[in-house]
Amino acid sequence: MAKEYLVVLFPHKRRVKINSQFMGHTNTKLELEGGRYEVTLGPPKNFTPESIEIDLKNTASLMPMTVEFERLEE
Amino acid sequence: MRRLLFPAMIAILLLVAGCAHYQVNEQSREFDRETGYRFDALDPGPGNTDSLFVCLMFSGGGTRASALSYGIMKALKETAIIVDGEEKSLLDEVDCISSVSGGSFTAAYYGLFRENLFLDFRPEFLERNIQGMLAARLFNPGNWFRLASPYFSRIDMAAELYNREIFKDARFSQLEHNGRPLVTLNATNLGTERRFEFTQEYFDAMGSRLDSYPVSRAVAASSAFPYLLTPISLRNYPVAPGYTEPWWYMGALEPEDWTARRYNAARNLGVYLDEGNKYIHLMDGGLSDNIGARAVLDAYDRGFIRTRINQGAIDKLVLIVVNARTKSVDAISAGEKPPGFFTVAAKTATVAMDNYSYDSVAGLREELYSRVQSQKDEQACIELLSGHCPDAPRPVAFAAGVDPYVIEINFEAAALIPDEDPRYYLDLPTSFKLTAEQVDRLVNIGPKLLKASPQFKCLLKVLNAETQGLPRPEDCPIGSGIFP
Repeated sequence: MAKEYLVVLFPHKRRVKINSQFMGHTNTKLELEGGRYEVTLGPPKNFTPESIEIDLKNTASLMPMTVEFERLEE
Repeated sequence: MRRLLFPAMIAILLLVAGCAHYQVNEQSREFDRETGYRFDALDPGPGNTDSLFVCLMFSGGGTRASALSYGIMKALKETAIIVDGEEKSLLDEVDCISSVSGGSFTAAYYGLFRENLFLDFRPEFLERNIQGMLAARLFNPGNWFRLASPYFSRIDMAAELYNREIFKDARFSQLEHNGRPLVTLNATNLGTERRFEFTQEYFDAMGSRLDSYPVSRAVAASSAFPYLLTPISLRNYPVAPGYTEPWWYMGALEPEDWTARRYNAARNLGVYLDEGNKYIHLMDGGLSDNIGARAVLDAYDRGFIRTRINQGAIDKLVLIVVNARTKSVDAISAGEKPPGFFTVAAKTATVAMDNYSYDSVAGLREELYSRVQSQKDEQACIELLSGHCPDAPRPVAFAAGVDPYVIEINFEAAALIPDEDPRYYLDLPTSFKLTAEQVDRLVNIGPKLLKASPQFKCLLKVLNAETQGLPRPEDCPIGSGIFP
């Protein structure tokens, strides 16, 4: 089954959670089955939004879907 | 008084028959994702790295499959490697074994008794007439009364035999205690017509504890050959309090995604979550996957292999398929007369299974080669940008490149080995009784087939070069572990 590609952008290296499962790190390319997922980051909770819902499809290895979290200022 | 004795005895025996019941799996009272017989909860073991990640698949095929997989285990034990500066055997690096039917005996025995496999398994199983022992119990009048019970059948008798004679009353808690490799014993759910595996993830959805369940019953389910044996039954309870589905389940059941494997997997899990399905009836794993490859494919798609690849933990992914498939000479195509009833019946039972097995291994190769191509695309893009647009941003990279190997062992490859005739192995019967010579030849051909595999040769060359700090051998580029 063809895989889809996702990059989760964040200013720092941080754990990426897909449906609450630790699935790799920010700013690297993740390879997943297509479909709907909830993306969020590991602690500390200094990022926004809290989570992002995605429908991962129509990507290519060189054209991954990107989602971005911003760092909240203390 | 004597006149009353006979009816009294009959009454007692009927009472005993009425009481005969298969062993029921226990209900789970609590849910804990961090414990139980699941990959992430198992101790990796001393010196077992994730960077070299090895999974074995043992096919069905009676004692023929058990003996071939045993030979491969011996070969892995005798293969010395150095990983991260530590000398070990390739067997020490095995992380998972997925097995079906005859292959499940070897897999479960190793999972339970580890290196004692090489001391005991031949006399305990390979060299015994297991089907003769089964027949002796079946024809023992003392067992007829038990078999008269609707809740006790031939498979339960077989499971009792395996439990006492081979697996020494071991439970899944013993497998859990031993740590990696995860041994996935595969059966077929007759209700869903889908693969079923004896892991805590499945048992979580069934609201049941796997730790207290006898390994022998799982092996019996995995090898319950249709008609000769009967199904193994399990209770399907409501899930334990606090249960949550596996991570990939949420969002998987969107109707427009019905063609996806993830959707299909979620539908399959949903069967066990449905409280209307109170019982599960299992037969030979070969009915749904006679190679054991589907469990590994699932782990690659959405399981413990996928998470480790995305985390950059796996450098070399080595999948060894031990396929004990036989193939008789095609006598059908030579004659004008159409094949008779029995030939057609036999073909009906095996043709679909053989083709599905072929597709399962082909699917593994394609999946892993697709990853290689993505990595090559990424590298080519970076090189092109460096040459033509040095200031352009580079594509985002994978956490780590994966160097995959799919090594298939089958009897056709015996043609590559001097003084070996593939026909000898391809004509062997599927039974739980082989001669000492047949077992001996099967055990000995395994290591030869492994060493003759071009993919395996590449793996050893690459590991050797890394140990010596040499560049990767030119004749083994990344991808040659799949298509040399």
